[in-house]
Amino acid sequence: MMWKFEIPATARTPEVSFDFGENHLKLAGESYPEDVTEFYNPLFNALDTYLAKLGKGKCRFDFELIYLNSSSAKAIMMLMDKLDAAAANGASIDVFWHYDKEDDTMQELGEEFGEDLANAKFHLEKMAG
Amino acid sequence: MSGDDLFAAEESIIAAAEQLIADGGFGAAGEREHFQQLLKNYQKLFRTARRLMRLGDHNERQLNAAATVIAQKNSELQALSTKLSKYLSPQIYDSIFSGAQGVEIASNRKKLTIFFSDVVNFTETTDKLESEDLTNLLNRYLTEMSNIALQYGATIDKYIGDAVMVFFGDPETKGVKEDARACVRMAIAMLRRMRELQSEWQELGAEKPFRLRIGINTGFVTVGNFGSSERMDYTIIGNAVNLTARLQSHAEIDGIMLGHETYSLVKDEVAAEEQKPFKIKGFAEPVRAYKVLGLYDDLADEGLVIREEQDGFRFLLDLQKHDKDAAIGKVEELLARLKK
Repeated sequence: MMWKFEIPATARTPEVSFDFGENHLKLAGESYPEDVTEFYNPLFNALDTYLAKLGKGKCRFDFELIYLNSSSAKAIMMLMDKLDAAAANGASIDVFWHYDKEDDTMQELGEEFGEDLANAKFHLEKMAG
Repeated sequence: MSGDDLFAAEESIIAAAEQLIADGGFGAAGEREHFQQLLKNYQKLFRTARRLMRLGDHNERQLNAAATVIAQKNSELQALSTKLSKYLSPQIYDSIFSGAQGVEIASNRKKLTIFFSDVVNFTETTDKLESEDLTNLLNRYLTEMSNIALQYGATIDKYIGDAVMVFFGDPETKGVKEDARACVRMAIAMLRRMRELQSEWQELGAEKPFRLRIGINTGFVTVGNFGSSERMDYTIIGNAVNLTARLQSHAEIDGIMLGHETYSLVKDEVAAEEQKPFKIKGFAEPVRAYKVLGLYDDLADEGLVIREEQDGFRFLLDLQKHDKDAAIGKVEELLARLKK
């Protein structure tokens, strides 16, 4: 399998940095793609392939999102479901949700995402700066 | 209505379903599991819907806040551009702001009609004025002249103290001939306005009324942005510009001096008197120049000219240039030819 899956950030889409070799995955920036499925489907596929092989291994996923639209939020929830399902199958998964300290909504959204995770470990972190 | 009230119906469905399970509903093993799974999925979908709605509202608030900031910035920019526009001729401002005109160092060759005016003995006339009074006087004068210039479609190039430089034919042109005519009509209107304002200059403190000399010339010039990329002027350069300034200095007081090409373009409607060609520094040949006497229409109203013009028929008699009896004899001769 490929060891890295990377997409640089654009004005409307976040930076994707999936370093499968290091078991460290990250999504950072703003997300309001013109076509949310076109952008997120390749991420879902890459993540499915990776998680299927992860078994009982460890993985860290960082979300550092500043702005996301409703469609992107739904896509993020689907990513979370995949991570939680892998954790339910024995993987050790840590999800870090980084939020802008002045953005209460992103903090609340993170808290709620955390509540949905039954198996993965959830961490809420203020962004530096 | 609060956010919670919006979802009262969904919450009561969840409560009823949980109660049903608690009361031992769906006793059959398969049915109960299915119902529990269905309820779990419904609860998740419900949470998702609430989240997305809240996120949508949050994003809308952010967008509205951003729109307010943008509107404020736009308004500031508008105010700033209005202030800056005062430093440019309106046509240049419009062509830059509409995107028709670039702001890079670039120029074109064009045939324009150029106008120079200067107040005769301005320094002596205003010598004893305090600077505030001088400022008022000069601004009043330039405002009056600029209003007339814009009314006739001129592009105001610059003010050099009391001197005014404008041109016709860029960025907008009505054709070389009409541009030249508009320029001469403007110059005549300026002189007329100066006469109307004579008493005002004295009230504002000038020792003598302002009197003008005007030069007008038509020719090819280079027009465009000159300077550096940091500071540029939209202006014209070329021999035709220098010649116009020289023509102005040769004009009589309260007079307009035309170059030969301008005269050729306007002679159908402007009465002018050819001057003895004179030498000008920088020009090899003596320059042909014409003193403006007035617009034929105005001169006809004053009885100095008889003029009749229709398609295919033109009659013009300048009584300042021709003896009346000799003219009558010539017209009778023409009548006799016509009657044959």
